[in-house]
Amino acid sequence: MNELLTKQLARINLYALISRVMMKEVDEDFLKTLEKDEVILSFFPNYIQWEKPKELDRKTLKEQFLDVDFSNLFVLHMIPYESFYRRDDQMLETGGDNPVVQIYNRYDFRVQLDKARAVGPDHIGIELEFMYMLASSEYKAIEEGDFAAACEIARIERDFLRDHLLEWAPMFLQNIKAEAGTPFYYDAASLALEFLLNDYEYLNALVTDKGCGYENG
Amino acid sequence: MINEQRRTFLKGAAFTVAGATLATGVFESVVEASGAESAEFTNTPENLDFYPPLEEWDSFRELDGDDWKRGGIERNGVRSEENPDGILVHDYTIVPSVCSNCEAGCGLTAWVDKKTMTVRKYMGNPLHSGSRGRNCAKGYATESQMYDPDRIPFPIKRAPGSKRGEGKWIRTTWDEALQTIGKKINETLKRGDEISKKMIIYHVGRPNENGFSGRVPHTMGIDGYDSHTNICSAGAREGSIQWANDDRNSPDWANAKLIFLQSSHAADAGHYFQQSAGLIADARKRGAKMVVLDPRLSNSAGIADLWLPVWPGTETALYLYLANRILNEKDINGDDLVDHKFVKDWINWERLMANREYLKFMVTKGYISKMPKDESYESFIELIRELYSPYTKEFVVKECKLEGMEYKLDQLFEIFIDAGPRVATYMWRAGPIAHRGGWMITRAAFLPLALRGALAGDIGGVSWHHWHEVSVGGKGDKATVAGKRPDKVDVWNELAWPPEYPLSTYEMSMILPHLMMDDEWRNKWNARGLKIPDRLAVWIPRMYNPVWINPDGFRWIECLKDESRMELTFNLSPTWSETNWYCDYVLPVGLAGERHDQQSAPTKPEQWTAFRQPVLRVALEKMGWKPKVPYRGTLEAHMKAGLGEVWEENEFFAELLCLHADPDGSLGVRKHWESAKHPGQPVTIKEYYDAAFSLLPKLKKAAKAAYPKSEYPCYEFMRDRGAWTENTNIYRPQEKRLRFDGAYYYAHGHKYPAYDVEKDRFGVLWVEHDGRRKSIGIEIDGELYEGFHTPDKKLDLFCEWLIDWKWPEYALPIYPRSEREYDKMIHIVSHVHHRYMKKDNEFALNTVFRLPYNIHTRSVNSKHLMEISQNHNPVWIYTKDAERLGIKRGDAIKVRIVDTVSGLESGYFVAMAVPTEGTFPGVLACSHHAGRWKLKNAVEIPGFEHELGVMGVGAPLYEMTMDGRVGTLKPKEGIDEGIKSRPKSWQFKEFNKDLDNIWWSGLSGSWQNAVAPVHPDPVAGNHAWHQKVIIEKAGKDDQIGDIWVNYENNFKTYKAWRDELTRPLTSEDRERRPWWIKRPVVPLSKKAYEFRVKDL
Repeated sequence: MNELLTKQLARINLYALISRVMMKEVDEDFLKTLEKDEVILSFFPNYIQWEKPKELDRKTLKEQFLDVDFSNLFVLHMIPYESFYRRDDQMLETGGDNPVVQIYNRYDFRVQLDKARAVGPDHIGIELEFMYMLASSEYKAIEEGDFAAACEIARIERDFLRDHLLEWAPMFLQNIKAEAGTPFYYDAASLALEFLLNDYEYLNALVTDKGCGYENG
Repeated sequence: MINEQRRTFLKGAAFTVAGATLATGVFESVVEASGAESAEFTNTPENLDFYPPLEEWDSFRELDGDDWKRGGIERNGVRSEENPDGILVHDYTIVPSVCSNCEAGCGLTAWVDKKTMTVRKYMGNPLHSGSRGRNCAKGYATESQMYDPDRIPFPIKRAPGSKRGEGKWIRTTWDEALQTIGKKINETLKRGDEISKKMIIYHVGRPNENGFSGRVPHTMGIDGYDSHTNICSAGAREGSIQWANDDRNSPDWANAKLIFLQSSHAADAGHYFQQSAGLIADARKRGAKMVVLDPRLSNSAGIADLWLPVWPGTETALYLYLANRILNEKDINGDDLVDHKFVKDWINWERLMANREYLKFMVTKGYISKMPKDESYESFIELIRELYSPYTKEFVVKECKLEGMEYKLDQLFEIFIDAGPRVATYMWRAGPIAHRGGWMITRAAFLPLALRGALAGDIGGVSWHHWHEVSVGGKGDKATVAGKRPDKVDVWNELAWPPEYPLSTYEMSMILPHLMMDDEWRNKWNARGLKIPDRLAVWIPRMYNPVWINPDGFRWIECLKDESRMELTFNLSPTWSETNWYCDYVLPVGLAGERHDQQSAPTKPEQWTAFRQPVLRVALEKMGWKPKVPYRGTLEAHMKAGLGEVWEENEFFAELLCLHADPDGSLGVRKHWESAKHPGQPVTIKEYYDAAFSLLPKLKKAAKAAYPKSEYPCYEFMRDRGAWTENTNIYRPQEKRLRFDGAYYYAHGHKYPAYDVEKDRFGVLWVEHDGRRKSIGIEIDGELYEGFHTPDKKLDLFCEWLIDWKWPEYALPIYPRSEREYDKMIHIVSHVHHRYMKKDNEFALNTVFRLPYNIHTRSVNSKHLMEISQNHNPVWIYTKDAERLGIKRGDAIKVRIVDTVSGLESGYFVAMAVPTEGTFPGVLACSHHAGRWKLKNAVEIPGFEHELGVMGVGAPLYEMTMDGRVGTLKPKEGIDEGIKSRPKSWQFKEFNKDLDNIWWSGLSGSWQNAVAPVHPDPVAGNHAWHQKVIIEKAGKDDQIGDIWVNYENNFKTYKAWRDELTRPLTSEDRERRPWWIKRPVVPLSKKAYEFRVKDL
């Protein structure tokens, strides 16, 4: 059981991490956390090698490098929205017709676009945070022993990955890797890409017609 | 392509911080909505229609706009006692009306909150087939105009003992105003002589209605109507009248293959723009091309397939160049480009070929080299091939200053030819109103269209307005005791139609003060036998602001201040204005949702009409309220709903003319306004409009079916819908068959016995009517048609009557071809032609382009429109011109206006320069829609607790001086400062919580209209708006907004144009004007047209 919860906690934390990085610019607190947490740092192998964090204070690093790269990647030159990647006309669907809004609504999640600073609900950061929310709910259900509910949530996670994130995010993340101007965002994109694929494999194995087999640990 | 080494994600569980700390947290948990009350609302509607179905308009519940974005009722539920944090539900009555901010007449719906009896928003009317539920910014701004903090709340009157313009006002009542004005009209009309019938003038700004305004002077039996048209669109109308005897053309934008525009009108700012722009967008989506001719890079030009900037006023040359190529070139198959079938059948070439005398005249003028060999069509084509052959590419490049843009002329020609007959255009303001000879621009513009068959009125082409319009607003006669239209009027008012301008398209209203103050002129004509009054007993502007919008504003002020010339004046006006300041009464009448009008506009090939209504009154009546006095319903409703003592023209004039101007009926006026159903009292709105709308047969049928038990079915039908389309798909209307059964001809709803009908050699059928010969139809190839509205029933390439009316050289579209001809044909050469620009700092000033969010004097009361229009009215100057003169962006420049006929200088205005590539070299642009002013921030009304603010959101405060010769205006305080100096608005607080946010000073425009001298075109009579200017950098004491005007010089300039350019009527003339062309709006008898003067 503990192993199951640990596994689940790892998923929660990773979704939280990558959604945060993809949603908005890092702040100094985040950088502090990153530097102090070796586990998190281990997911950023190139960043560790980079000389800038060593030379500059956090504020300067953020303002002169990381924020610039973020703006370039998520605001100016890349389009971090599912609808852009999936619609034939490459238009953003910013309103209620966006398919992911209907999914969020179905499970009573309301996204605050102003807080996300996004023009549409299918922003990469929001979709990843949705996965984080689902994984957290799944964790609670497991903790409470409600395996049926947990399994149902796992099924939603798998479907959302299959039908949405994996339909476009790999392409987007590959582009980020190609365009990134700092090791930080290169590493973040690599992490997200691998993790999503890995997580889909995990969920696919977990969720079967007969249930999720949590009872078996 | 996952080539990274697999990592153990499991270690993610060992983060020192929890995921919740890392995650941004953009998702919010959900509070369940209270189910039952929310049942009628949903966050996921099946469709997103803006408008509920008509059945729900009387009572429609809608959630407040706040909070929608964050989840709507599913999070917060619906507001109730138990759920005070829920979302407010409005309970609306949706009442249709019509926008009144421009001439397009787009549908509106007012969403009247039943609890507060306020209009919470104005939207479009989906039942209006012209505007299709859409509006521009001006439509939605109606709400801010309605609840303008400075709207005039009750009738006010000049304080006794004060002079006009002193700004001392007292409160009065509608009753007092009716009695005083009624008495004055009664005393004037009672005299009954010719001169008294010229002493009352009703001066109408943009009417936005179809007929009621004309009915007012007509029922008084006077020739007393002045429109604003001669400062607006008279040049274009003159050209249309000469071609088709129709007021304006009417395109089928939606189906055109080429949208061919001169100026930004139609597509982004001008006449009918909101409706036209939608149709143009539809056409372009289907592949139509758009060409824009404009010296200015307008929004339209910016998105056009081809922008052709030509020197302003030389467009005639360009159109004749197109005609030349169409006539003299072949298509790729070697066939003619001329649509010979259309030209042969529907252009009046036979009359030209039959007029030997005129053909000889053409030879002597050098138009053609020799007489045609016969009168055949082929010889005609030969003739016009020669006539237009001088308008070559080389010629037009030089004339229009298109050096370097020769390739664009070829592109234009190709696009034009590719569109075939599907070329849609709308000749309106811009060139035709801007220049001396502007009317010839229109005349020439239609020539290439005619040659290509685009004037056939067919799908995607161009037809004429009156087939696409419905005018019944002046025809509610059946509801009155008279039961029929008044008789024709027997007098001719020289103050509107002076003998110098017999062909003037509309009234010479913009020179009213010049005529009034010109004793020499009046004495001369009176000595020759005319009877021109030396004063006006009553002058009534209606929603009109001539002091500000007309040229030479100081002359207007001089005249209005003179109580011996203007005895009683009152403005029926929803807002304060510069003109109101000099009137005796300001009587507040309603805005777009506060008055009744029937309005129709020719925006597409159909006939739609809309019904403007006082929406609060309609909502109240639907809730069971009834006025105490049935003929004062609108006034009472507005008082009841807290809008103020705001009335409307319809009820005001019915009561004034029935009960006060002619109380005993002895003047013959009363019967036209007295209710047939309730004798003794004025006709009511329901009675009048039921009678008027019942004149439309299809509407009447639909109304009777929808309201079978109603006493006023047509009124109620329009009250509930606000719009109706009587006919659609009106194409080739001139080909409507004229029936002949062997004994009678049936045409235009009349029956003519065959023995009364005479057919001339050109196939035209003539009858005698009112002592005149009138044509009723035409036979072409053995078929009878109703034809066009010209006397010869065809389109008049050859405008034969111009010969008799003293302008023979312009009977055909023509333009000077040499230096010598410039002087001889000066009447059709722009007064801002490049030949007049001699020095580096001399420019043509382009003044008349419209801004999409401002409309002359009608937007000053909307904070929303004023906000988006601030700092948008600089002087555009071409980059290189600015560089040469050392002028930088934001510099104040002094713009001196100089007349090219009199040589006199008018004075200057100071404005802000913005160098741009968007205007033609040598041509400045500054729209004359900005530069409003006031002389006081607020007015104290004795006995009334609040001050009345004056145009607080839209006009800065100025200081004025004038001494009879020179006038000046100097800015004193901006709008932002002015509004802060006053305590919070006392009116409509709920709607004006944001007045603190007013940031604009409004000091970016100048009152350039006042500097401009008035100089009417000698033929069309319209003011030619553009000016020759000399610019220099402003001095250190000059400020943007300053003006200095020598209006004594302006008077001399006006006289120079009149005396040097017009061809006035003489003792040999017997008629005032060609009787067959439009002479708006009061019908005059044959007697009125008679002209007899002696030589002195």
